[in-house]
Amino acid sequence: MTDDTDTTDERTDGGETGIVPPDDETPAWSERKARKQGLSRLTYEYFERARREDQDLRQQSSYVERDVLGFPAWPHEMVRNLALTSFFVGMIIILSATLPPHIDAPANPSSTPEVILPDWYLYWSFGLLKLGFLNPELSLLGGEKLMTDRTYGVLANLVVVGIVAIVPFLNKGSARRPVEQPFWASVGVAGVVFSFTIAVLSIKNLVPIEEGLLNDLTFLLPIVAGFISYAVLKSMREGYMFNLNRRYYRLRPPK
Amino acid sequence: MADEFAKGFGILMTAGLGWMIIAGWYQTHGFEETQLFGERPSDPGVYAEIALTVGDALFWFAIFGALTFWIVIPAGRKLRAEIESRSA
Repeated sequence: MTDDTDTTDERTDGGETGIVPPDDETPAWSERKARKQGLSRLTYEYFERARREDQDLRQQSSYVERDVLGFPAWPHEMVRNLALTSFFVGMIIILSATLPPHIDAPANPSSTPEVILPDWYLYWSFGLLKLGFLNPELSLLGGEKLMTDRTYGVLANLVVVGIVAIVPFLNKGSARRPVEQPFWASVGVAGVVFSFTIAVLSIKNLVPIEEGLLNDLTFLLPIVAGFISYAVLKSMREGYMFNLNRRYYRLRPPK
Repeated sequence: MADEFAKGFGILMTAGLGWMIIAGWYQTHGFEETQLFGERPSDPGVYAEIALTVGDALFWFAIFGALTFWIVIPAGRKLRAEIESRSA
């Protein structure tokens, strides 16, 4: 970090004009050799390659060093955006021209269909309405249920939406990648899997699994998936370069 | 290695798209019936016959093209490297 060299033509925010990451971010050979095992080694190699590509990009770049290396919107970003836009427009035109959608006869408003289902993205909520098997029969009430199954289902919706609303307050989301916070990442995985299993539960009459087993799987699979992802992420941590993020976050490097 | 993946993936997607379009025309008789793998038309005209042949070719090209780039070529390279390392 010598500031007295080569300051004639380009003035930078910090560091030299050559766009090189600080030396302390480059792992030593002993560090590289230390990571030999399976998944952590793979993680390490993955992030090392990303770091190396970033370093090469900075060295080749003729731009003045900024704190975050970016490219101007024109032409770089625009060319990419136009390419993506024309791809998707082309796909829409091709598919609508070659595979025109099947149009059914208009719905008959005076007859109720056999199967009533919400749109697929609401299956999870519909599945929560079918949690009657969890509604306990209280012996205190003489085997009666405290509330009806449908009230119970609506309350289950409130509970799930409440948990989803609370999670951002418990975890502020400072992690940039799942490896950094395995616990919260696995909570997320469990939530995603639960949203899938509860959606499957909502169409249980179409699923060729015995009902009791399906009820159990609905709640066990998310836990299993959460444990597995926790184990995987935890074993990836060894190979992860935690100082990788400093480059993205640091606004002004220390002199 | 990443290049080989992209080649196989490109073949799978483009050939699969072509097959899907042809199968959607000729082997899908209705939304509620079997889609893409439905019955072939019993008396296709010349053009339908050509389209069905092209569709079949695209279907197998999608599968074998992807398998070639994902499995056969990398395996061949591994094999060659192994042979060279043993003979050296």
